[in-house]
Amino acid sequence: MIAKKFILFIAVSFLMAGCVEKEIIDDVNIEMGLGYDFKEDDKIEGTIMIPVFNPDKKIGNFTFSATATSARDLLQEVQRKSAQPIVTGSLEIAVFGEEMAKKGVIELIDSFERDASIGARVYLAVGEGNAKNILAGTYGNRGNAVHLSDLITHNTDNRNLPKTNLHIFLFDHYQQGKDPYMPILKKLEPEIIDIVGVALFKGDRMVHTIPADKMFFFKLLTDKYSQGSFKIKVDEEQVAIKDIDSKNKFKLAKREPYTIEVKIKIEGVIREYTGQMLTPAMIKKIEKELEKTVNEECSTMIADFQEHGVDPIGFGHFIKSKTRDFDVKKWEDDYKNVTVHVKTDAKITEVGIVE
Amino acid sequence: MTQQPVPERLQISPFLVLYLIMSMQIGIGVLGYQRIIAEAAGYDAWISVLGAGLSIHIIIWMIYKICGTVDGDIVAANAYVFGKKIGNLVSSFFIIYLLIFALAVLRTFIEVIQVWMFPELSIFWFSLVFLILAVYIVFGGFRTVTGIAFFCIVLPSYLLLTFGFALKYAEFSNLLPIFDHSAKDLITSAYKMSLTYIGFEIPLFFYPFIKDAPKSQKWAHLGVFLTTIIYTILAIITFTYFSEDQLAKSIWATLEMWKIVSMPFVERFEYIGIANWNLIILPNICIALWGSSIILKRAYKLRQKKGVIILALFCLIAINFFDTRAKINFLNDWTGKIGFGVTYLYIPFLFIATMIAKKVKNK
Repeated sequence: MIAKKFILFIAVSFLMAGCVEKEIIDDVNIEMGLGYDFKEDDKIEGTIMIPVFNPDKKIGNFTFSATATSARDLLQEVQRKSAQPIVTGSLEIAVFGEEMAKKGVIELIDSFERDASIGARVYLAVGEGNAKNILAGTYGNRGNAVHLSDLITHNTDNRNLPKTNLHIFLFDHYQQGKDPYMPILKKLEPEIIDIVGVALFKGDRMVHTIPADKMFFFKLLTDKYSQGSFKIKVDEEQVAIKDIDSKNKFKLAKREPYTIEVKIKIEGVIREYTGQMLTPAMIKKIEKELEKTVNEECSTMIADFQEHGVDPIGFGHFIKSKTRDFDVKKWEDDYKNVTVHVKTDAKITEVGIVE
Repeated sequence: MTQQPVPERLQISPFLVLYLIMSMQIGIGVLGYQRIIAEAAGYDAWISVLGAGLSIHIIIWMIYKICGTVDGDIVAANAYVFGKKIGNLVSSFFIIYLLIFALAVLRTFIEVIQVWMFPELSIFWFSLVFLILAVYIVFGGFRTVTGIAFFCIVLPSYLLLTFGFALKYAEFSNLLPIFDHSAKDLITSAYKMSLTYIGFEIPLFFYPFIKDAPKSQKWAHLGVFLTTIIYTILAIITFTYFSEDQLAKSIWATLEMWKIVSMPFVERFEYIGIANWNLIILPNICIALWGSSIILKRAYKLRQKKGVIILALFCLIAINFFDTRAKINFLNDWTGKIGFGVTYLYIPFLFIATMIAKKVKNK
């Protein structure tokens, strides 16, 4: 009986072994970065970046480019140029050229959404100038794709970039009363990439941008919990503040017309101070100044959004969650007339190890 | 027709009913029910999940009343109410029901593997191996089937924790305002939970195999309650993780939430999760095959070992006909509908009929 079972087991193992296709890691090209650029005549130039693992343990980069009319044709075109099959499973970042972002990106993103092997943590970014230019180059020593995704991760976790990835982009895009955003990358030198701001989308088209120095305020508004750093001037002295913990809270103060109160709470530490002594009175002054700056900057930014008709902060969604039978169409008109009051409560908890 | 009592060495302890019911309920419906229920009641649908789950307790109570009255299984109950000939005919319907259930579970799972992992996976070969395993387990008798049900709930239960990763992206304001949909929408959603919830009716088939059967009722209730809680929490996590229009596009929302999982040792958690799901659907197939073969045995005196093989062969042949998404959807839709009919229409009917028959016979 046991021998019989054993034979059956062996037979089944052999039968099953050939059932599905194999993908051996040395025999495939792993697509880790993707770029899309808009060319004339409604054509799209796609760039696929793959890492090349050299014998001396260095990771090189190689890019394939092809031009086609749709995103689906692109992979076909590129596959023709590649000696080994290109697999999409470990895509790290997708970069859209500025022109492409202005024309609309959702058709391109659809292919990531549809592909079961692509994760939800893929980063999306807009490339200032063109995307191909950003992917081609050599940054860091872990390969371009990993470098670019590390760059965004680190800036999100510790600096002023609001949280972004494929899931958040899609979430915002499909959410009623909220618009998505992406970071903007720029090639400064052949080996340096900088995050120069945030691109705001209306639907799936890029319509507006926020410069890098305003990203701190933007992050305060979009992320429920955030960290970042910021510099202000108090009495001719420069103060650099690191925000270690901040929260925001929305409150609907009034309807018809809508009035929203945004409460921001910042807890920060002082990192740099050009003056002589940091007296408690001075710290109070810094707190006041910080509150004032955040209030002003956030209010101007929101007014600017209203003027451009974009709602990356999600006021529409916020009001929807407070309203029965929410009318999205009517909200589009209402949005311009919403009054937003920003109230900040800043607290400096530490000043470093010297006074 | 009263039933020969099942010898004690073949019976199971009452508390194991909990695992049997849970393992039969949790199968393939849970992979994508969120989208289907949100179609009608939007993001209020979690209330429907909870409500539908609570309504099951009434059916469980009826099942135990029916089985307790006739002191036997569904075949005995049908014979008690309709007489032997018609009763057996009605019971045969349950063979078909369980087979369709097994078919839907197996085919949907193969579809998941094909879409998420291996597009070229052969339906026939996978079904063959899976069914050989299931038949082998059923050959071991009901106690073995119960053992499998126990392990296949306990072993993959860690998967529940992995949905915690999605909580990091949860936007709880998605759920607000609560009760933004009409009662009718909520009921429609609850109805659409059928496919996901069915499976709790199985005490009808194995009632005589439970030691001290009436004592197992509380375990049956607890099993259904736990499933309800799991489904409700999962629905809430899903609704906070996806925005409404985004969920409307997600066929397998539960699996899609694994896309956000990041662990240092594994890039894509779906692969581990789907492989583990094998364990979750294994008791589904085993219990369905066991249940349908025991009815064959009871109603037509066919030896159970023969019956299982015939039924498994039938599954193996039939499964090849469902080769596209549309057909699989059709199969799942109908499984849900038939399941609803069996649990919410037939069982209450049988309950009332049994009560009347009991009154009449006692006179």
